[in-house]
Amino acid sequence: MISSFGYYSLLTATLLSLLEIITYIKNYNQKNYVAHQFIFYKFSFYFIIISFILLIISFANSDFSIISVYENSHTAKPLFYKIAATWGNHEGSILLFILVISAYGYCFIISKRKIDNHLKATVVFIQNILLIIFLFFLLFTSNPFEKILPIPNEGLGLNPILQDPLLVIHPPFLYLGYVGFSLIFSLTLAALINNQFNIDWSKLAKNWIFLPWTFLTVGIGLGSFWAYYELGWGGYWFWDPVENASLMPWIAATALIHSVLVMEKTGKLFSWTAILALLTFILSLFGTFLVRSGVLNSVHAFANDPERGLYILIIISLLAFVSLSLFIIKIPKQTNENHFTFLSRENVIVINNYFLIFFLTVVIIGTTYPILLAAIVGKSISVGPQYYNSILAPFVFIFLLLMATGPFMKWKQSAFFYYKNIFISFLLLSVFIVTTLAVLLQQFNPLFLLGILTSCYLIISTFVDIFYKKNFKLIVTNLSRFFSHLGFAILILSITLNYFFSKELTTNIKLGENIAFDQFSIQFKDSKTKNESNYQELFGTFNIKNENMLIELHPSIRKYIQPSQFTSETSIKNNGMSDYYMAMDYSSVQSEGIGIRFYYNYFIRGIWLSFILITLGGCISFYTRRYDNKI
Amino acid sequence: MSPAAKKRTIYFLISIITFIIIARFVYVSLNANTVYFFSPTDLKNISEKPNGIIRVGGLVKKSSFAENKQKQIYSFVITDLNNDIYVEYKGLLPNLFQEEKGAIVEGKLKDKKFLIGNKILAKHDENYMPPEVADALKKSGKWNKKYD
Repeated sequence: MISSFGYYSLLTATLLSLLEIITYIKNYNQKNYVAHQFIFYKFSFYFIIISFILLIISFANSDFSIISVYENSHTAKPLFYKIAATWGNHEGSILLFILVISAYGYCFIISKRKIDNHLKATVVFIQNILLIIFLFFLLFTSNPFEKILPIPNEGLGLNPILQDPLLVIHPPFLYLGYVGFSLIFSLTLAALINNQFNIDWSKLAKNWIFLPWTFLTVGIGLGSFWAYYELGWGGYWFWDPVENASLMPWIAATALIHSVLVMEKTGKLFSWTAILALLTFILSLFGTFLVRSGVLNSVHAFANDPERGLYILIIISLLAFVSLSLFIIKIPKQTNENHFTFLSRENVIVINNYFLIFFLTVVIIGTTYPILLAAIVGKSISVGPQYYNSILAPFVFIFLLLMATGPFMKWKQSAFFYYKNIFISFLLLSVFIVTTLAVLLQQFNPLFLLGILTSCYLIISTFVDIFYKKNFKLIVTNLSRFFSHLGFAILILSITLNYFFSKELTTNIKLGENIAFDQFSIQFKDSKTKNESNYQELFGTFNIKNENMLIELHPSIRKYIQPSQFTSETSIKNNGMSDYYMAMDYSSVQSEGIGIRFYYNYFIRGIWLSFILITLGGCISFYTRRYDNKI
Repeated sequence: MSPAAKKRTIYFLISIITFIIIARFVYVSLNANTVYFFSPTDLKNISEKPNGIIRVGGLVKKSSFAENKQKQIYSFVITDLNNDIYVEYKGLLPNLFQEEKGAIVEGKLKDKKFLIGNKILAKHDENYMPPEVADALKKSGKWNKKYD
């Protein structure tokens, strides 16, 4: 019953979106197409919401007459996870994807800002085309309301590693992020088509970049945190292809944020900004393809289907082809003023943009090389994390120095020599900090020294930059940069510290046994078993001694009944910014003792802190720029 | 050559050189960190023994698992049901390591029938088959619907 309603409301939404497109085309030459207030688009949005709610209800009620509910839910699951299962599977997540595309268009329509009618209508038109493409994809290849006969009594269950409160919010944030880039894609294409790609456009576009960028940052942060504490991988980032899939649009969008500022302030970088805007959304779709097609071997590649992958690939190629052709035909020819000041602010930003594109290229190569090799030569390979670390690290350090320099520079003129003394004093101060730290921690690795030096330099300069502003208003307008740049500096600082001082031990331990390791000693004190409704849990009690500190950890292993699977629940306790972290492993063929993985994660909380700061920067920038310069 | 043209040529040359250096750097790093995957049959058919770290995947052969308690070494056989490879592994066995289930072992070859493993990858649920293993089984013609 509900499933039919859900399906029909999706059909209605598709129909309404088609009507909206017809209306646009019919009225295109009469210039009065805003008169109807995008009524079809709005109603299509409402119907998509309805079908999404109906799908949630079906999951909450465990309506096993629907295949996707049967395959991904189970009556023994808590209500919370039944609801989360809605977007924990392919069909539901594509519906969420569509909901987000539609919602961004809706917000664009109802936003208070005065936008040129011609532009507005074209943006909605393109957003609508994206919407219809994905609605067709949903209806034809992955209908979430597809029925099953005879109706099963019980569902197959949701993968237990997905039964976590963070999973409930992690995918929606990611989707609000990278699907949100659809609007900037539409905005760019619309402006190109209408010959309105100009400085006013950049003022309008800024907000629609900051908003999804902030969501994506939160989504990536949550994902990283989830892998750390729920998956028990012991670290924060693994260069897993799916992590890379979300990182690629993030890097492109970060470059876009900066280039759109240059465009707004100096009237340069038109084509660069347009390319980045188009690229960001195409990379988001490419990420969807990687996750959904099954070409990857990753923790995220659950149930997948190569045929769907093919459809997504066709969609990507089509959008890339059309948008790039439009770009080539319509991009305004810029008059090159040719007054080139090497260290003006825009040039520092441009250089940093080159760096970002380099990082992006490295990630794209590392992620796609195995796929291409498998497709062309038929060889399976994997690219180790050392590839990324060794290439990116030295360049990130230079990147940090540029980040510290840029904000002091002026638009269109060089101020480097004016601030020469400040830069030297920053440098001296950072050298002092690094020397102290190096002696204190007894670590003299050049990469370590460079990492600390450059991140300290950036931290000092962001603080000086904000506190030397002449008045309060200037402080407020620069606050978002302060937080996000500071966050990035702390991120690199924490990663460097974490990389050089973390300790890791994997071993087999028997009850009562004591294992000494570096400055730690680990004792397996006790174990006990508990039965829960949908799993059995084995707890271990471990005493960790670090010099004079004694810490007790209680990791556990859950054996789930449906689907039958083991998960390791980690136990984490912190000491300042560092974590003591332990997970157990269980193997049915192992005779005695139990496997443990112990990590001493130095300064890892700095990484979570930096995610929060960067997000805060994004939020502030969205908030403070809400109303500036109407066009 | 006009000053502007000269300047442009210099920029052009600098960017070409930078590009070549960076491309070379990326290429070297990529090669150094690439791990190849082999099925037991692949290993049988290749003429030269691969050096460095590789991955081998397939099913853990039934009743092949053994444990050396003194040295804490596990040994087992990875099979694609046509050919086998003997594996010795020192370390932890992951949660989902079981006989007759899929597994991928990373390590170095001692010879073409003997792998010294240093890592076992089995992070998924019990019905999950790593795609490489599925391919290996399909290639050996022993793919069975029950693995789906």
